[in-house]
Amino acid sequence: MLFEVEGTTYAVPSNAVRHIEMVEHVTLVPNANPAIDGVVFTRGQVIPALNLRTRFGFNKQASTLRTRIVFVQVRDRLVGLIVDAAREFLRISSDKIKPIEETLTGIQGNYLKSVANLDQRLVLLLDLEQILDVENYQPAPEPVLQKANN
Amino acid sequence: MKLDSPPPEIRAELLDDFYAECDEHLANIREALALLEQSIGKAQADLRVLEELFRNFHSFKGISALVGLRPAEELAHAAEDFLRELSRGRATLTISGLELLMSATQKLEQTVAAFRSRTELPENRSVMHALREIAGMESRPKTEASGQETEIETARGDGLVLWKCTFVPSRELDSRGVNVNSVRARLSAAGEILRATPQVLGEGVVAFEFILGTRETPGDIAEWEAGGIKVELLEHSPPPDPGTEMSSAVEPAHSPFIAPSHVVRVDLNKLDDLMRIAGEMVIQRSRFDQQLRTAERSRTPISLESLQEVNNAFGRSLRELRQSLMRVRLVPVAEIFARMPFVVRDLARDSGKEVALKLEGQQTELDKYLIERLKDPLLHLVRNAFSHAVESREERIAAGKPPAATIWLCASSRGDAVLIDVKDDGRGIDAEAVARRAARMGIGVNQPLDSAALLKILCSPGFSTRDDVDRAAGRGVGMAVVYNTVRELGGSITLETEVGKGTKFTLRLPLTLAVSESFIVSCGEQTCAIPQTFVSEVLQVDEQSIRTVNRVEVIPYRSGVLPIVRLSKMFRLPSKAKERNNLLVLSSERGSAGLIVDRIHGQREVVVRAIRDKLVQVPGVIGATELGDGRPVLILDGEVLTSGAIRPHSVETSQAVKRKETHGK
Repeated sequence: MLFEVEGTTYAVPSNAVRHIEMVEHVTLVPNANPAIDGVVFTRGQVIPALNLRTRFGFNKQASTLRTRIVFVQVRDRLVGLIVDAAREFLRISSDKIKPIEETLTGIQGNYLKSVANLDQRLVLLLDLEQILDVENYQPAPEPVLQKANN
Repeated sequence: MKLDSPPPEIRAELLDDFYAECDEHLANIREALALLEQSIGKAQADLRVLEELFRNFHSFKGISALVGLRPAEELAHAAEDFLRELSRGRATLTISGLELLMSATQKLEQTVAAFRSRTELPENRSVMHALREIAGMESRPKTEASGQETEIETARGDGLVLWKCTFVPSRELDSRGVNVNSVRARLSAAGEILRATPQVLGEGVVAFEFILGTRETPGDIAEWEAGGIKVELLEHSPPPDPGTEMSSAVEPAHSPFIAPSHVVRVDLNKLDDLMRIAGEMVIQRSRFDQQLRTAERSRTPISLESLQEVNNAFGRSLRELRQSLMRVRLVPVAEIFARMPFVVRDLARDSGKEVALKLEGQQTELDKYLIERLKDPLLHLVRNAFSHAVESREERIAAGKPPAATIWLCASSRGDAVLIDVKDDGRGIDAEAVARRAARMGIGVNQPLDSAALLKILCSPGFSTRDDVDRAAGRGVGMAVVYNTVRELGGSITLETEVGKGTKFTLRLPLTLAVSESFIVSCGEQTCAIPQTFVSEVLQVDEQSIRTVNRVEVIPYRSGVLPIVRLSKMFRLPSKAKERNNLLVLSSERGSAGLIVDRIHGQREVVVRAIRDKLVQVPGVIGATELGDGRPVLILDGEVLTSGAIRPHSVETSQAVKRKETHGK
């Protein structure tokens, strides 16, 4: 499943995606990690909402009509990821997927698993477990990822 | 066919049933084994217990075969043989015999767990050999296959008619309610299932083949074909494949963590209760319906009293319904206690200490969810007691104590809470030594050093009283997890200890997890709920009367002072200074505090939803609820707020201690 954060397209395995909703009520949880916007209620459960903009080191932005929260299941945890826009479900063949080079990122944490090159469009495949591991998270000093877009 | 994991063709529902049944049988076996202890040394072991054990191992064998888990099937079979010898009085039960059965049970559990998690199956040859030897049978390595053969031939010799029944599941049959479980039930009713094997026919099709033995030909056997079962008489079957090599996996380290089950066994009485309440609601509704019709016909409005009466009646019924449903989820703690004797036995054997385990109050009921969550914490407390509290035989004799230590696990219900005590008569906890160690590690120590302060130190992450890593008790993260789990479940832990005498940990858990009468308060946009149990008073205080002492805001209250927590500070919201503030006086066992909020919206019954993900588990918040608009509302933790854990004050204390240490030399 593909989605967008600050102009870059990312992908997560579609079998991890439970459902997608518009962002309505997110309640702030005091003293939680800065990447966590808070909690939301979905289908009777209280789920953490992780803001990927913050997580990737970008400035927070007000929600737009396109902002979505993507609920993903990682092992036995259900977590919501707030993204700028949810795009499409796409089958990416493995020959298009290349492992990511260390030099390209420079971002804290290795949550980028690999890159796919689809007709001039770069899609970054994420490692969900690493994304959720916010303990070692520190905001990157500047958004380095923009380089990948050129 | 070597099967280390369920073949994909076997459907998920079948596997779910399988795991649930395994759990049930293993639980029954454990309980029965505990009773069997009394039969040690007797010429004839207790037949009823043996019967119970046999039945459960037998069923276990059957369902393991169905999903293709040969190792479990064979091990259960070996246990069966031993039990048969015992029940015929041909073997006497010894301590090692009982221990062997316990090991076999453990192996079965590990095998199912490995099967489920798709990891390598544990090695079980040695247990099987031992069982066979003790049962007086020859121990030849590849006897599994011939074991089954013997059983079939024995059955034939007994005069049973043998049938080969094949069942191929299909969608059409499934829609008629015919699946492998119904087929198995049907065959069991007709005779004895001697063997059951799945066979993968390719292209995602699995066929199940049963060898059935019956005394006489079932009257309706011809109709079985219509029920999807193909039947033929079993001629002498060709010798099956020689037993496959067991994967030589290294025995997994003593796995303490048991997969949680999501299934509850419900007493019929509880269901009857639910039916009764539902019935009452039907009557209430029809009365209301009647009133509506009458009003319609006579064009007169329904009176306010009637409406209120209906509302009240429904309110009552809903409350009863909710309580009854909660009761359905209640399960005796025996479930978690049952595995403790095994644990203690293993620990005792490995260490040479002598320990007796006493279990009390096993029928005390607790919510199934709580039971699942408490399994690991209780395990840890028992292990802790064993490793740290229990002294060696020599030490105990020197201290004038009986050479064997005792660990008690007692459960009791106290109103709307359940208490579980983990008690020992060991060496007790030396508070001073713990405090010194904590100070060295930089962990804050509260004065006075009472049991609450001691508990706080013990439950600090990273705290450990041993320099070497103690395999049984873990690496010093255990108590913190125990503490957090209990708090998460809405409960509390207390500690009582006396050096030289013993230690007691008491876990207090709420019975009613789900609903809490709470005050709804807000500060700006942020709304929170505080359970009424914490609120002792609601006041208005002038901003002027708030003083700051040692960086803590307080107000004069009664004959002393009350520390203040501002909701706005908790949520990092800008707070407008107001002349008069709303203050809720919170009190708990830990102390008292005043919570200043902008507005108090009243009291409501809220449904408590647990916050399960650790990303959002923070001190001061015990859960969340929803007031009807989809917006999550955090439920505050009165105990944390009143203990001062989220104020700059506690940071001061530990820093002050550190300073003392460096300067005090």
